[in-house]
This record gives sequence, C-alpha cells and structure tokens, in this order.
Amino acid sequence: MKKFINRHPNQYGRWVLGILPFVLLLILYVAASNARLAENPNDPLLPSLMQMGDAIQRMAFEPSKRTGEYLMLQDTLASLQRIGIGVGVSALIGLIFGIANGAIPYIRATLSPLIVGVSLVPPMAILPILFIIFGLEELAKVMLIIVGITPFLIRDLQQRTLEIPEEQIIKMQTLGANTWQIVTRLALPQIMPRLLATTRLALGTAWIFLIAAEAIAATEGLGYRIFLVRRYLSMDVILPYVMWITLLALMIDFLLARISRWRYPWFHASS
Amino acid sequence: MLLKKRTLIPLLLAGAMLPGTALAKDEFSVCWSIYVGWMPWDYGDAEGIVDKWADKYDIEIDVVQINNYIESINQYTSGRFDGCTMTNMDALTIPASGGVDSTALIVGDFSNGNDGVVMKDEDELAEIEGNRVNLVELSVSHYLLARGLETVGLTERDITVVNTSDSDLVSAFASSDVDTVVTWNPLLSSVLEQPNANLVFDSSQIPGEIIDLMVVNTETLEQNPKFGKALTGAWYEIMATMNGSDDPAKEARAHMGDAAGTDREGYESQLANTRMFYEASEAVEFTRSDKLLDTMQRVAEFSFKHGLLGEGAPRPDVIGIETPAGTYGNEQNVNLRFTSEFMQQAADGEL
Amino acid sequence: MAMIELKNLWKEYGNDVVLERLNAKVEAREFVTVVGASGCGKTTFLKLMLGIEDPTRGELLLDGEPIPGEPDETRGIVFQRYSVMPHLDAVGNVMLAGELEASRWLGRVFGNRRRKLRDDAIAMLEEVGLGHALDKYPHELSGGMQQRLAIAQALIKRPRILLLDEPFGALDPGIRKDMHELVLRLWKEQNLTVFMITHDIEEGFFLGTRLWVLDKDRLDPQAPQAYGARITFDLPVGREDQKTYESISSRLDTTARAIG
Repeated sequence: MKKFINRHPNQYGRWVLGILPFVLLLILYVAASNARLAENPNDPLLPSLMQMGDAIQRMAFEPSKRTGEYLMLQDTLASLQRIGIGVGVSALIGLIFGIANGAIPYIRATLSPLIVGVSLVPPMAILPILFIIFGLEELAKVMLIIVGITPFLIRDLQQRTLEIPEEQIIKMQTLGANTWQIVTRLALPQIMPRLLATTRLALGTAWIFLIAAEAIAATEGLGYRIFLVRRYLSMDVILPYVMWITLLALMIDFLLARISRWRYPWFHASS
Repeated sequence: MLLKKRTLIPLLLAGAMLPGTALAKDEFSVCWSIYVGWMPWDYGDAEGIVDKWADKYDIEIDVVQINNYIESINQYTSGRFDGCTMTNMDALTIPASGGVDSTALIVGDFSNGNDGVVMKDEDELAEIEGNRVNLVELSVSHYLLARGLETVGLTERDITVVNTSDSDLVSAFASSDVDTVVTWNPLLSSVLEQPNANLVFDSSQIPGEIIDLMVVNTETLEQNPKFGKALTGAWYEIMATMNGSDDPAKEARAHMGDAAGTDREGYESQLANTRMFYEASEAVEFTRSDKLLDTMQRVAEFSFKHGLLGEGAPRPDVIGIETPAGTYGNEQNVNLRFTSEFMQQAADGEL
Repeated sequence: MAMIELKNLWKEYGNDVVLERLNAKVEAREFVTVVGASGCGKTTFLKLMLGIEDPTRGELLLDGEPIPGEPDETRGIVFQRYSVMPHLDAVGNVMLAGELEASRWLGRVFGNRRRKLRDDAIAMLEEVGLGHALDKYPHELSGGMQQRLAIAQALIKRPRILLLDEPFGALDPGIRKDMHELVLRLWKEQNLTVFMITHDIEEGFFLGTRLWVLDKDRLDPQAPQAYGARITFDLPVGREDQKTYESISSRLDTTARAIG
C-alpha cells in the first residue's frame, strides 16, 4: 500500500470529493432550517429552499408590484455596470502607471512612494472626503472601486514590469529601440496578460467595494437590495442574492481566464 | 424516539443557529442600542439597578449593548435575546412579521422632534417635489417622510428615495449631490449644524407616532412574569432617578450623555425633543388610548405598502396588533401586543 | 586604427577590483573568445562592451572614441537566456529591428514595407535553419532553435560587433557543434567582429581566431577581491594546441577554487 501522500483520487473521485463539502453544507443548512421553521414557521433567519425559490421567482421572474421592473435584473445590470466601469478604469490606470513606474526610473522615484502610501489608506475610512469630492451618485460608487483597487493594480504591475528580464531590455536597445518603443513593443505586450491575471485577483476586492458603495447610498444594485432587505432579516432574498453574486464573480473570472489563454498563449506556456 | 434520533445529529451540528427555547427559566438577556430614549438602560446596568430588581425576583438579567440598531433587532428576532429596544414600526415589521410573537412591555417615550426632514437652502417641505431624498429606506425616517409628504399633498412618487446608511448620512449631507435628508438624533442635530440646513418637518408634527419601546418575547413573558416585573421595576426606578434637577438626576443624565458620545448638555437637548414618560401612569394612559391603535393601523398600512409585512402578505391587516383599546387586523394571527399590565403595577407601586 | 581598444581599463565596485590594467587592440573581423573562471569579470567586461557599465579608470574605445554609454545598434547581443521576445513569433522577433527603425512612434509598419521586412526576416530565418518554424513562438522552440532565433534577430540589424554571452552554455553537446558551425559561417559571411564570452575553455580555444584568458595573476587567498583579473593570455588560436590548452585549463581551475 502506498503512503497516503502518494495516493491520488481518480477523476470520478475528485468530482465526488469536491462536491461532498457542498452537499454536507446543504444538509446542515436544511436540517437547521427545518429545526427553526418547526418552531416558528415565519422565522426569517434560515428560510427553507422552497421559500428561497419563491423569493427568486418573485425577484427575478415577476415584475415588481410597485415599479413594474424585474428587480433582480435591474439590480444586476446596475451592479455590473458599476463594477465594469470601475474595474475597467482601474485596469487602464494600473496599466499606464504600472508600466511607467516599472520601466522608467525617474517616474518610479517620483510616484512609487506616493502610490505605496495611498494603497495603505483604507478607502472606507475616508468616505466623507470621497463624498465631498465625488458626490454620492454613480460617480462616487465607481470611484470607491477605483480608489480601492487601483493602487494595488499599479503596485503589482510595476513589480511585473520590473521582472521583465534585463536581457530583453538590452536586446531591444541593440535593435535600435528608443524608450517609447521599449515601453510599447516590449513592456506593454508582456504586461497585458499579467494585467488580466492581476485584475482577476482584484475583482474580489472590487466586489467588496461595490457592495459597500451600494450599502452607503443607492436606489438599485445587488448590494443595495441585500442591505435593504437585511433590515427585515429577509434571508430568503439575501441568500439567493449572495449565491448569484458568487456565480457572477465566478463567471467573470472564468471569462478573463479564457480571454487570457486565447489572446496570450505564450504567457501560459512559459509561466 | 425514531424522530429524535433522526433529528439529533443535525440539531447538534446546527447548535449555534437553533432558536432559543422559551421555557420557564431564570436567566434572561436583553439588548439595547444607543438612542436618546434607551440610554437609561445603560445607566441602570452600570449602576446595578437592573441587577437589584432581578435579585428581588430571584432571576438574572443580562443587559447587552449592540452597536448596530438593526443588528440588535435581528439578534432578538433570531432568538438570541429575550428582549430588545426598538420603535413601534420596527417591532411590527421585523420580529412580528418574522413570526416572533412580541410584547411591548415598556412604552418609554415617543419622538417629539427627534426625527426630522432637512433640506438645503429651501425652507418649505413642499419644495421637496422632484428631489432625491437620502434616508435609511424602510426605517421610521421613511415613515416620517411619508407622513410629511401627505401634509403637503405629495406622495412618494413625487420624489426619489435613496437608501443611505445612517453612519454616512451626516457626511453625505455635506456632498453637493445631496440636498434633502431624513434622519434622527443625534445625526439630525449634526446635519442641522451645517450651513444652509433647514428643518422643514419633524416628528413633533406627528406626536406619538414614533414610539420607543422595550419589546420582549411574548411566550417568555407569559412563562416568566418575573422577568417583566423586574425589567419594568428597574425602568421606573431609573426614570425616577434621572428626572428632575437634583444632583443625582444630573449625574444620571451626565452618565447617559457620556455613554451616548456627547455630554449632559447635549443629551438634555436631545431629551427636549423626546416626550419621555417618566411616570408609569403617563405611559399607561398613552398605551390605553385609541390614538395608539390608530397609529399602529397607519404604521401597518405604510409597512404593507412597502412590502415590509412580507412580500406574500395580501392585506395590511394580516398581522394582528393587540392594544388595550382593541385589536387591529387578524385576531387569529396576533404577533404584536401592547400591554399596560406591568406599567400599571409599577404605577400602583405593586412591583 | 584598431576598431576596439582597451587602454589601461579598470573596473572596481567599491573596494572590490574586478578588472585591472586591461590593454588590448582588436581589429575588425576578429573573433575573440573570452574565457575565465566564474567571477573573474567576464560578465563585467561584457557590460562594459554593451555600455551598461562605465570603466572606473582607463578607456574603452570604439573607432578611437569612448564606446557609447548605453546599448545601441552598433553592438548586437545574444544572451544565454531571455534573448528573444516571448510574445512574438519567430518572424515577429526577426522583423522587430526593421519595424523599430521604420516607425519611431508606432514601432509597427504596414503594407508593402511590412511585406518587404517579412521577406527579409524569412530569408534570415532560413539562413539560420529556422525556415520551417516561422510562425512558432519561442516557447514552442527547443533551446538550440531559440538561440538560432536570437542570432537571426541580432544579425538582421547588421551590427558591426556581435557580443555572445555564453550563448551555448545551456545546450546539449551535439547541438553546440551545429551552433558553432552556424556562428563561424555567419561570422565569415557577414564580416562581423565577434566577442564571445564562455566558461568552456575548449570552446574558446577552438572556435575563434583569438583567445583572451581573464584571470587574476595576483591572488590573495585571504582577500580574493583585492586584485582584479587581467588578460593573462592573448593568443592566436584556431588550431590544435593541446599543451597550451591544458596549462591554461589547470591554471583557471586553481583560480576558481581560490575565489570559491
């Protein structure tokens, strides 16, 4: 018999083992929910799967009685738009300043300490200042995401730019490249797949800031809905929303991973 | 036995999430959050008044401060506490509509200017039409706004409600995007300190509609009347101590102001906007009045309109509300009860 | 006038003397191989040649002028690793020099000029034996093919001097043999001046026209950095000379052990 550390589950076994914790969690949930509902059929804390199904039906597939909108669709589109703009702008700023900092010592010496400092400021702690500068509407929500993740993106991409082998920078110069050409034809294309990888990492944080922004002041959005119904402990709405957010995040992550493999096969083969 | 075996293991696993069982017992816990009308609980806890009354009835009462108001109600609703401080509207829409039969044991005060609508530059509520209004959606602020809009012939359709976290309301008002907020004290006075801020409507114009209560689990109270007696007895001793202009009363108010993050003067100015029932007899009278029944009907209709009685609720009177003056709504499904029984005993000196 | 001239060239880092009193002249079209123990200043000499380090004393002259203080198109380079751009395919790598020259801002060209650059690049790739791998990315090529690509990429720029930094150090012996033939052929065809750094003395001894041995002729075992390396042998090579080879080889081993 082989040592335990040398034994691997087969493909079928991996699936079963991977799903097992989810099944256990579900069983645990249903048991706890049943126990609470047996005592108080209106208990909101741990709704039954049926109650959650009703809530999904109501939020996603029936127009709201009050506004006639499909609330879940409306919330999803609002949140996706915010996170899309926020992360997109952050990625662009991160790309520009990350490469500039990484490639050009004079820019790095000027900006790097500032960015390190800014990246250590918790944005939620200076919200009142952000309100004064960016107001309380869409701009503020997008800006909270940008302020939240851009310093991280810049720092990471700066580091990735610094990791470009010195040999290639010298080689570019021996091929006649000027500074601008080294940036555009060496640093930029090599950093692009790393930008996608870093953005995938930053997305988790971006969601946190989005939900926080929507909790502060909003009229629609996934985070808005969760915080609104949280007041009434409507876990039958909150739990499906949380699962939906998780699913959306997973899909975006998967999409970015696929784009990266499709556009930059060399990156995945060499790293 | 078979049933027991089948449920035992998941019950054990789910231990922390299980409901608290309301049986005869001698240890109780109540929670409160910071608000002018509930600060006396902190004083009573710190000065040992609650313990003294609990000892008298041979029980223990743990008084726990929860920093987030809604979280405190949610904790109570999920069964972690036997009692909790909350407003009449939240008592209806959170525990009562969540199936937790609750009793308003002590009617402590009503807001008499502690909640208000503030506008920048404008000084007429009618000018609110078309504005975006920042407030904690579905809270008493929302109710106050709805009542205010009625007085100028507007409805919620004429404005846009922007749900805004209470912790950010004051700084939000400083932003140029925001020109109308609805909030409560002490946030209200902070907002009013800002230039151009005008109070255009406040709760003194709807007196007795926003009521601060100590709500306890009905079943627990029925099984353990001692719990109700001890809490009520302690409350009116605190009331007697803090009322007046003698030194102990000033010290008590200074303690409460300090615990609320202000000082005695600040706390007293908040008290000025609060109609405290220092005498149990006043509270009894208020609770027995027809006005309370009318108010609760109004609150139930507002809550139903906003889906707060559960999205499946067919009518505003789906939840029965019992008051000494009569019952509103479904008598088969009474989940919120106002009682003057214990306060009456306090008034009669029988505790 | 000599193409490259080293006049009393020193390189020190603080108290560490790496190179001292280097004096030599190199004519155009020579093939100089530089050997030495690890840590004996071969890489430092290469950095001086590239212009990414400055001499601390003395002069390094190209055509009688101090050599430019940063890498440029006069000196092509092939490193042991990372010489080619991983994000470009073989043709893209070889076209790079032409594109950079033709378009200072975009670094890209289109239309007829692109076709011309592409044809030139394909011809160069066929020259180095990569005609079958035009669309392959570096990660799809073997180590030897990557070095062929690096050589093609450097030579299409027609540098006057080709610097080779242990270019075959990571290759299998059989493949090295092929690469030696390729380099010798290109050196003759393109009238190059070549400096090749290698730690393989045998390679240095039999590949070029001239062999430099960088070694410390004064060695303080207590402070190995107190004295720098000098050119201890400057020999015309290219023919069998087993005795000299063995003598140099054993001397370098001694230095390597002393530096530790």
